[in-house]
Amino acid sequence: MHVIVATDGSKQSLAAAKHLKSFADPTKITEISVVAVVRPLASVAFADDVSENRLDGSFRDAAQSAVDTIAGVFEGWGPKVSKRIRSGSAANEIIKAAKQYDAGLVVVAAGGRGLSDAVLVGSTAQRVQHYAPCPVLVVRPAPRKRK
Amino acid sequence: MADSTATVPDTGDDEDSLKRSITGAQLFFYTLGDVLGSGIYVLIGLVAAAVGGAFWIAFAAGVTVAAITGSAYAELVTKYPQAAGSSLYVQKAFGNKALTFLVTVSFLSASFAASGSLATGFASYFSQLFDGGGPPALIVSLVFVAVLVLINFIGITESVVMNMLMTFIELTGLVIVMIIGIWYIAEGNADFGTLTDISVSGNPALAVLAGVALSFFAMTGFENTANVAEETIDPYRSFPRSLIGGMVVAGVVYVLVSMAAALTVPVDTLAESDVALLEVVKQGILPFSTDLMTTIFTVIALVAITNTTLVTLVTQPRILYGMAREDVVPGVFARVHATRRSPWVGLLFSGLVVGTLLVTGYAVTAAGGGIDLVNRLALVTVVFLLVIYALVIATCLKLRGQDEDERAFRANTPLLVLGLVGNLAILYYAVYDDPASLLWCAGLLAVGVVLYLLEQLFGGRSAPRPGTASQTPKGDL
Repeated sequence: MHVIVATDGSKQSLAAAKHLKSFADPTKITEISVVAVVRPLASVAFADDVSENRLDGSFRDAAQSAVDTIAGVFEGWGPKVSKRIRSGSAANEIIKAAKQYDAGLVVVAAGGRGLSDAVLVGSTAQRVQHYAPCPVLVVRPAPRKRK
Repeated sequence: MADSTATVPDTGDDEDSLKRSITGAQLFFYTLGDVLGSGIYVLIGLVAAAVGGAFWIAFAAGVTVAAITGSAYAELVTKYPQAAGSSLYVQKAFGNKALTFLVTVSFLSASFAASGSLATGFASYFSQLFDGGGPPALIVSLVFVAVLVLINFIGITESVVMNMLMTFIELTGLVIVMIIGIWYIAEGNADFGTLTDISVSGNPALAVLAGVALSFFAMTGFENTANVAEETIDPYRSFPRSLIGGMVVAGVVYVLVSMAAALTVPVDTLAESDVALLEVVKQGILPFSTDLMTTIFTVIALVAITNTTLVTLVTQPRILYGMAREDVVPGVFARVHATRRSPWVGLLFSGLVVGTLLVTGYAVTAAGGGIDLVNRLALVTVVFLLVIYALVIATCLKLRGQDEDERAFRANTPLLVLGLVGNLAILYYAVYDDPASLLWCAGLLAVGVVLYLLEQLFGGRSAPRPGTASQTPKGDL
C-alpha cells in the first residue's frame, strides 16, 4: 500500500506522521510519499515550523526542509520513503497526488478546534476527506484540558 | 490495490516532486491584474488635471519607464528566483541591513498608502451603486479592508482561477471604455484636437512630467509578481516574457483608455471627478440605458480594485515575514497561525495600519484639515517607490557578473540606464513640484529609523543564526 503523508510545515503534521508510525504495520506499507504543497499566491507560501535547522531561503527551501524532517520520522522504519513538493491549492494537490500514486491511505493533520472549524470554510483536511480516492487518516490535536 | 512502486522513481527530485503550478499565461494575467485596476480607475482624473487633454502622452511615458523597471525585476528574479522582492535584492547587492530596513519601511509605507487609497477608491465607487449615497464611505472602506484581511487569513487567495477571472472582468471594463471611444469616433463626434491639448499654465514639458509621475503610480504593483516567481513553470523563460508582456499590454490598454476618456469627456469633468472613468460611461454614448451601464461598470471597477488590493494585502505580510526571517524586522512577524498557515501577526498589522490610516484620514478631513490625507500619502509615497525602483535598477546593474547563469534573463543595458534616468527625472519632478512631500517622506523615514533602532536594541534574535545561506547544506536534492 502506498501511503501519502501530507505536511504543511506545522507541528501538527509532524504529530500526524508520528501517529501513523505508532500503529501502522510497516510490512504492509510499500512506500510512503511525504508531500508538501507550496501555495504561491498565499501570503506565506510555505512556513516550516518543524525543522531544527531552518534555512533562511525561499519558500521552496522551507517546504524542502519540512519534507526532509517528516521523511526523517520514517527513516529505517521499512517502507521506501519519497519526498515530493507540489505547488498549488493544498487540498487539490493532495487529492491529485493520491490519485496519481494510487495511494491506499492519505494522512493529514487537522488543527482546527471548535468554532473556527465551523465558521472558516475550506479546511484542507475537510476537503481531502470529502474528495480523496482512498481512506483518509485525519490526526487531530489532543483535546484541550478542561478545568 | 495496485502496487505502483515500480513506476515511481526513488529520488525526491523526480519531475512531479518539483511540480510548479503557475503557467506563463497565468503569470501574464497575474501581472496584468496587478497593474491594471490599481491606478487607472482612481488616478485618471488626477492625471487629466495635471496635463490636460494630452494626458495619454503622460501615460505612455510613465508606462515605458515602468516597463523598463519591470525588466530589471525580471533579470533579478531569474537570477534569484526567491520570493522576497526588492528588499532582498538590495540586501544582496549592498549587504547593508539599515538600508534594507529602510527600503522595507519605504516599500511598506508606499504599499499601505496604496491600500488606503484603493480602499477609498472602492468606497467612492461603491457609493455610486446607491442613489442616496449608501452607507458612509469610511465604514465601507474599513469593512472592505477587514474582509480582505479575513479572506487572506482563511487562505482562499491561493486560487489562481479566481485571480484570472477577476482580471478578465477588469479587462472587460476597460474594453467597454475603449468601445465607447471607438463608437464616439465612428459617430464622427470626436475632436482629435483634444489629444494634443496641454492646458496648463507654465512649461508643457513639466506638465507632462507631472502626469508621468502620476501615471507611473498607475503602473505600480508589478513588483508583486516577483513573489510568485519561484512557483512558475520554467521561470527563466516565462517570467521575463509574462512580466514585461503583461506590463506592455497594460500600458497599451492604459494609453487607449486615456485617449478614449480624453475624447469623450471634457477634461474639466474628468479632473473634478472622484471616479473619472465612470464619467466616460455616464456620457451615454452607447445606445444602452446609462443607469444599467453605470451599474455594470461600477461593479467591474469594484472587482478591479478588490483584485489589486487583495494582492497588495497579500504582499505586505509576505514582505514582513521574509524580512522577519532575515532578522530585519521583529521576529513576531514570522509567526504563522498554527492551523490556517497564515502570517496572522503580519496580516493583522497590515489591516490595522491601513484601517488607522483610513480613520485618521477621515478625521483630518472632518476636522477641516483641508487635505485628503490618504490620497496625499499615496502620492507622497510615490517618491519612495521611485527611489526603490531606481535602486532596483542600480542593483541589477551592480549585480552584473555575479551569480550569472546562462538561463537568466538579461535586460537591455542602455534601456536600464534610460529607465534609471527616467525614474530619477520623475523623482526630481515629484520633489520639485511638491517639496512638501520631502517633509512627509522624511517623517515616514524617521519613523522607520526609530523602528530600526528599536529593533536593534530590543529585537535581538534568541537563537544564533546558522551560517550564510550558501554555506548551509542543502537537503538531498
